[in-house]
Amino acid sequence: MLDAAPTPGRKKLVEVAGLKMYFPITAGIFRTRVGDVKAVDNVSFDIYEGETLGLVGESGCGKSTCGRVILRLYDPTAGSIRIDGREIGTSSQSDLRTMRPTMQMVFQDPQASLNPRMTVAAIIGEPLSEHTTLSKAEKLARIYELMDQVGLNRNFANRYPHEFSGGQRQRIGIARALALNPKFIVCDEPIAALDVSIQAQVVNLLEELQDRLGLTYLFISHDLSMVRHIADRVAVMYLGQIVELAPRDDLYATPLHPYTQALLSAVPEPDPDVETERRRIILTGDVPSPANPPEGCNFCTRCPKVMEICKTVEPAFREVEPGRYTACHLYDDTKTTAGQTAASEASKSTQQGV
Amino acid sequence: MPDGAMPVLDVKGLKTVFRTRGGEVHAVNSVSFDLKPGELLGVVGESGSGKSVTMMSLIGLLPSPPADVREGQVLFGGEDLLKCSPEHLREVRGADIGFIFQDPMTSLNPVFTVGYQIMEPLRKHMGLDKAGAKKRARELLDLVGISDAERRLNDYPHQFSGGMRQRVMIAIALACDPKVLIADEPTTALDVTIQAQILELVRDIRQKLGMAIVWITHDLGVIAGIADRVIVMYGGQIVEQAPARELFHNPRHPYTRALLRTIPSVRGERAEKLNVIEGQPPILTAAPAACAFRRRCPHAFERCERENPLRHPIGPGHDAACFWDPETGGARA
Repeated sequence: MLDAAPTPGRKKLVEVAGLKMYFPITAGIFRTRVGDVKAVDNVSFDIYEGETLGLVGESGCGKSTCGRVILRLYDPTAGSIRIDGREIGTSSQSDLRTMRPTMQMVFQDPQASLNPRMTVAAIIGEPLSEHTTLSKAEKLARIYELMDQVGLNRNFANRYPHEFSGGQRQRIGIARALALNPKFIVCDEPIAALDVSIQAQVVNLLEELQDRLGLTYLFISHDLSMVRHIADRVAVMYLGQIVELAPRDDLYATPLHPYTQALLSAVPEPDPDVETERRRIILTGDVPSPANPPEGCNFCTRCPKVMEICKTVEPAFREVEPGRYTACHLYDDTKTTAGQTAASEASKSTQQGV
Repeated sequence: MPDGAMPVLDVKGLKTVFRTRGGEVHAVNSVSFDLKPGELLGVVGESGSGKSVTMMSLIGLLPSPPADVREGQVLFGGEDLLKCSPEHLREVRGADIGFIFQDPMTSLNPVFTVGYQIMEPLRKHMGLDKAGAKKRARELLDLVGISDAERRLNDYPHQFSGGMRQRVMIAIALACDPKVLIADEPTTALDVTIQAQILELVRDIRQKLGMAIVWITHDLGVIAGIADRVIVMYGGQIVEQAPARELFHNPRHPYTRALLRTIPSVRGERAEKLNVIEGQPPILTAAPAACAFRRRCPHAFERCERENPLRHPIGPGHDAACFWDPETGGARA
């Protein structure tokens, strides 16, 4: 795995700028548009070649929508998405089709994302029939190769998805995503439906494949401990926006945004001694509706460090330390280069919380 | 029992079988445990390990057929719940044993107000009149931290968020002051920050009311934060039982040890590679004649293939069902 912080010289494989995905709310028999659900609201980030960007947040924060819109499974409301130098956001469906092989997706629910009436070989072979001109024998050879790569027994090629366990089904989904030698894979909660002991198997498989094939992942998950394991950099979403983006070790050691601090503090630790000693930040209330986000900062209704300015002015998402981005008024006076103060302040505040 | 207290619930040799078209499934096999007054007993295990089925069997919530609670004894307040009439069991369930389910959306009735659903057990089991039940319902909503209780009683479940709905479920379960509360994965469907709120609430309620709680979960982090004692289930059996601290610091069964190693943490050292338990959980089509974990166990030897290990004592309140001894690295003497 590439653990080093991304250097400026590394190639950006995915560039997302000002991405917005609004779903209309309609009313009445004429279905007039009366508002929008702002599922993704002005999100910008880059993913470097060969790295894993973790995208975390709670349910309804827009992380899955973000992953889907990047692959143009939805048409974005605004913003640009460039993958491998080519614009995805506005290209036509026929252009998109030629780009599909480079970008693939692994879905959350391996039960629902595999056609129950197709055999494993047919499922893994379908992208090959669509996008390549391989002969029948070549295709079968490729299917076997893919099954070997994800640790599925070749003899099961003619079985149906229901004959497999959850973890094995997820392997089928991964083999299908790998079929066309993609560069970029969006993994949308790939382990959420699996048992703890099986989760580790799938995560290790994803890491091995990344090493071997040089893949780039967007790893969407609500499981902060798994993301810490697999991701190089992590973006935290809240109510349609990225509130913090930082290299993994920095984010977990000294989270800057109060939401990230609360989120990390809420994860229970499998150690009774730590659990009895630990002081938690307990957020009050629930996440506001993305159809009607609060004025100013989206987090101001639940933030334990809320100030007057937060209720009126929306904080800008900017670099407060090299490589570390956050959208929070607490860091308004830190210059882009003067990251030291922000870091020490953040570490103080997390020590209080943890 | 180390502290000598009479258990509120004592389960002995419980065995539940499901009859399916493909044959019998032995979901729960000779499960024995007890619950002491005021303690929080954590039950951990993967899906299919039998943790929910165990709890449902002992209060008669499984539909029969296909389920068949074949053997065992469930002693609660001096009587055997498995021998009770269904009417009497219904009395016990509402009044003495409360239940919280995993999914607060499907376990609340969408066509009745929350107030009606909280008042229903109060009127049925405690014989309160309408005004009395309403007063108690308001108190319960206050207790579980739902503000503006008076108005919220008239709301329907869909008007509450997931975390709030789970608070309503807790209020219903607590309505008749039960002696035992069984919580089946109550925070699994919730987000971490909401889970933290609910865990805080449960800690608080325990201090105020002091009932005994059985908390079923697959999340060892949650267990570490709230449980006094833990039982670990695998393949329909209890493989280890220990006080919480002891279980995390001195796990004895290879399954418990492996489980503790597979979970990554958000704090402390970050492991380069995740530890893995190879293989799949067992399919329980026959009563166990050998150790259920042997196929995935790094320490399995010949005896594990022949015989199903019984739970044997290790220390005060600690036992494990395994022939292997982690201290010597060989077979247990």
